[in-house]
Amino acid sequence: MENNVSQQLVDMWKKQVEEGSQVWLKMMGQGQTMDPQAFWRPFMDQGMAAWAKAMTQGAPSPDLMAQWKQFVDQWIAAWSKVLEQAMGTEAFAQTMGKQLEGFLNVASPVKKAAEQHIEATLAGLGVPSRSQVIALAKHVVQLEEKVDNIADRMESVAQLKSALYGLEGRLDAILKRLTESTATHRQERA
Amino acid sequence: MKDEQFTMMMEMPQLSPEMLARLKEETQRNLLRMKHFSEMVLNPKEPAIGPTPRREIYRTNKSRLWRYESTRTVKTPLLFVPNLGISRPYIFDLMHKGSFIEHMTAQGFDFYLVDWGVFGPEDNDLTVEDAVTKILPRLARKALESSGASEMSVLGYCMGAPLSASFVATHPEFPLKNYIDMAGPIDFAHVGLFGLWLDPRFFDVDKYVDTLGSIPADMVKMGFKLLKPTMDLSTSLNLWWNLWNPEYVAGFNALNKWANEYLPFPGEFFRQWVKEFYQQNKLIKGELVMGGRAVRLERISCPVLAVGAKEDNIAPPGCVRPLMDVVRSRDKEYLELPGGHISLIAGRGASVHCWPKVASWLKARS
Repeated sequence: MENNVSQQLVDMWKKQVEEGSQVWLKMMGQGQTMDPQAFWRPFMDQGMAAWAKAMTQGAPSPDLMAQWKQFVDQWIAAWSKVLEQAMGTEAFAQTMGKQLEGFLNVASPVKKAAEQHIEATLAGLGVPSRSQVIALAKHVVQLEEKVDNIADRMESVAQLKSALYGLEGRLDAILKRLTESTATHRQERA
Repeated sequence: MKDEQFTMMMEMPQLSPEMLARLKEETQRNLLRMKHFSEMVLNPKEPAIGPTPRREIYRTNKSRLWRYESTRTVKTPLLFVPNLGISRPYIFDLMHKGSFIEHMTAQGFDFYLVDWGVFGPEDNDLTVEDAVTKILPRLARKALESSGASEMSVLGYCMGAPLSASFVATHPEFPLKNYIDMAGPIDFAHVGLFGLWLDPRFFDVDKYVDTLGSIPADMVKMGFKLLKPTMDLSTSLNLWWNLWNPEYVAGFNALNKWANEYLPFPGEFFRQWVKEFYQQNKLIKGELVMGGRAVRLERISCPVLAVGAKEDNIAPPGCVRPLMDVVRSRDKEYLELPGGHISLIAGRGASVHCWPKVASWLKARS
């Protein structure tokens, strides 16, 4: 009995999710003005019917909580899917781009004016401004980069030096052998 | 008639012993939920993150190279390159038994992590090219020196994959043993919603960078939240549902701390990243030039593993898999695993589906 009720609830919920999604997608596709009621109605109607049925059939069970969680998960997943589809349209990307541009159009002069005002105020007070501190930090970063480059070169020089020492050792060995063989040769000739 | 109805309404339903036990369990859970909730609100504890011991090997500007303690039984060390900006890298060593780094070091890998750091407004001139041709080669060389090994494997995760792929493709002198791309976009024509939103028809990156200078962490947060608007709702619901479970709560606290720490992007880095990767898709086309060298992925000839996540909406499998078509390697493999962009590498699912596969693939070639 309980399983039956659960199954019915799941089925009903799926149905309402599908219907709600259809309404939503239809609205998006046809570019209509959004009517929240049209989207919510199938969810609400069927949700109420489902809960009414659950409450009038059988004994109350703590599993109802699990069922509720399952429904909400499905509902969120459906919403997520619908939103993903809506946000995956060029219309959405265009709207977002326009909004962002609008924000930047407002932000840019405001930011510039605020910065100029703050710079002037801080200069008057004899306190370093943000841009001055950033410029200083930039110098530190550049200095660090230079130090890193010098360290890299020194490492390369050290590697070259150790390679040279190795080469020097090998040359010494060759010279030693040459001297020895020359001496032997002279002795043999004598 | 009215009395009858009242009696029916008031009649207590008969409960089976199983149901009584479930009811009792649910009541206990609710009490625990309330207890943990009040603890979270009234006495929030800083979650313990980064359980694997590590040592700083090198530091340049904001970036650091970390070496993690391990038995080092695997001959070839591993350099892990994550994303620059967006989020902090401690997600890879989040908590005990929930850490990719802990897993890899337990397997005997000599593990090096590139921590790009948090860039400030003084770093706004830093470009992708700087990261690929200046920072990364230096850190990779330091890792190699520190390990004493003659070769090194590189693993790029998320944005770290195109960055590290660009590095290894332009530095043939780097002794690369194996290359792994985990959820890293290579073909930006299939990069999903971000690809559409950052399309040059809708997104003017020059105006954005010129106005803001750098990309603030809040903007980055907004972009990622928009990618999955229902995420916060489902996270809160799942938290409430599992609030009785102290292990879940500990995991949630750690993950939640990470998930809310967004990082800014240096302006010029963002400009180049969006233009040359997202908008012009230069990497896969072989048109990218870094430090005067052409980035040709076909120069990668070592064993390659690419891992895509089925439900990844940041780097969908369609943009990861094409790496297989461009590298010259004979030994190459593509894996598509369950999970999303983060759950591919962090969390319980990752410890089952992903880490053992990556570790065994790499071990066999190291």
